[in-house]
Amino acid sequence: MAPLDIVAVAGTTGAIVVYLLIGFAFGFILESVGFGDSRKLAGQFYFKEMTVLKVMFTAIVTAAVLIFWSVALGLLDYDAVWVNPTYLPSGILGGIIMGVGFVIGGYCPGTSLVAASTLKLDAFFFVGGIIVGVFFFGESAGLFKDFFEGGNAGRFTLADWLGVDMGVAVFLVSLMAVVLFWGGDKITAMVQSHKG
Amino acid sequence: MKATVIGALVVLVASAALALKGQPTVEDKWRLRAAEFEPKLKSREVFIDAGELLATMQEDAINLVVADVRSERDWNVFRLLEAEHVPLGRIDNQAPRFAKLGDSGVVVLVSNDEAAAVEAWKRLMVQGAPNAYILEGGVNRWLDIYGEPAAERQAAPGQGNDTLRHPFAVALGARHPASHPDAHHAAKREFEKKIKLLKKVTKTGGCG
Repeated sequence: MAPLDIVAVAGTTGAIVVYLLIGFAFGFILESVGFGDSRKLAGQFYFKEMTVLKVMFTAIVTAAVLIFWSVALGLLDYDAVWVNPTYLPSGILGGIIMGVGFVIGGYCPGTSLVAASTLKLDAFFFVGGIIVGVFFFGESAGLFKDFFEGGNAGRFTLADWLGVDMGVAVFLVSLMAVVLFWGGDKITAMVQSHKG
Repeated sequence: MKATVIGALVVLVASAALALKGQPTVEDKWRLRAAEFEPKLKSREVFIDAGELLATMQEDAINLVVADVRSERDWNVFRLLEAEHVPLGRIDNQAPRFAKLGDSGVVVLVSNDEAAAVEAWKRLMVQGAPNAYILEGGVNRWLDIYGEPAAERQAAPGQGNDTLRHPFAVALGARHPASHPDAHHAAKREFEKKIKLLKKVTKTGGCG
């Protein structure tokens, strides 16, 4: 039953090869859908371009449906899958900071690396900024440790929050994605017609 | 556009079917994974001797949780000093905490004989608590060894109807001498060591 211990199955070298293949595929897909272009990414915030919303939500919904069908069929042990613990206050503040950085710089951390791989100059500056930011965060994290580590809700999912079965939560997210895709297209059309 | 609509429909139908099917219950998970865990019960490799539990209680480097899954009545009558009361009905709520005890974490499940502890062990196993054991013979055998042997016939480990065989005139909880036997008892008693840590821990600290 999955998840598999890749190191045990394929050895350390085999595991490294698997990690490289997954990383390559991830980067290739991001670049293919245009996530190496900061104008396309930042366009999301001006409702001119809904690619980010569509790609991200499609990935979320596809992965959720596959993961939880695998669990339902007994192919995957969800308890053995790492789920990031929820730190709500610091998560909200971090999300705002990241969002502001995204709209100003035109990238998120992953997409900046994708853009840097095609030698985009702005991406190099963005990655440089990330490295400096990581350094200062690491040096100063102790000053706001209580806030940073506070409000740990542990493994807290939408299903826990809503008090419903995980299958119902996946259906609600899928429904939300479809509505957002449809609404996103309408908003984009409205913005375009206003410009026109 | 047509492909987008078809894709959206596929996702909606798949997720709606998932919502109708629901996620597996703990019982479903056990049915799916019984073949993986049953051999450990059959070989009794997860049943630890009372002596091993007593010795483990003295190990500071081990993050030990002794989970007593018996009824509140039996818990009030007699319990081990280090135990915490986690009735069988609440074991699922505690599974995430037990799963996060770390490499030095060990959970020992205790019932009067073994039946309730075995049921709790099964539930923990399928919920990701990796290092759980069962006190062999439960509280009854513990009392046979460290308290007064019961007048009633001593059940062999793995048997017994999971009721407290030892008579108590009053509820003593953890104030009974057998609740916290002298650690030297563990050294005197021979047992097969079965507890394995997920990762070896190094003893540190102390004076000198």
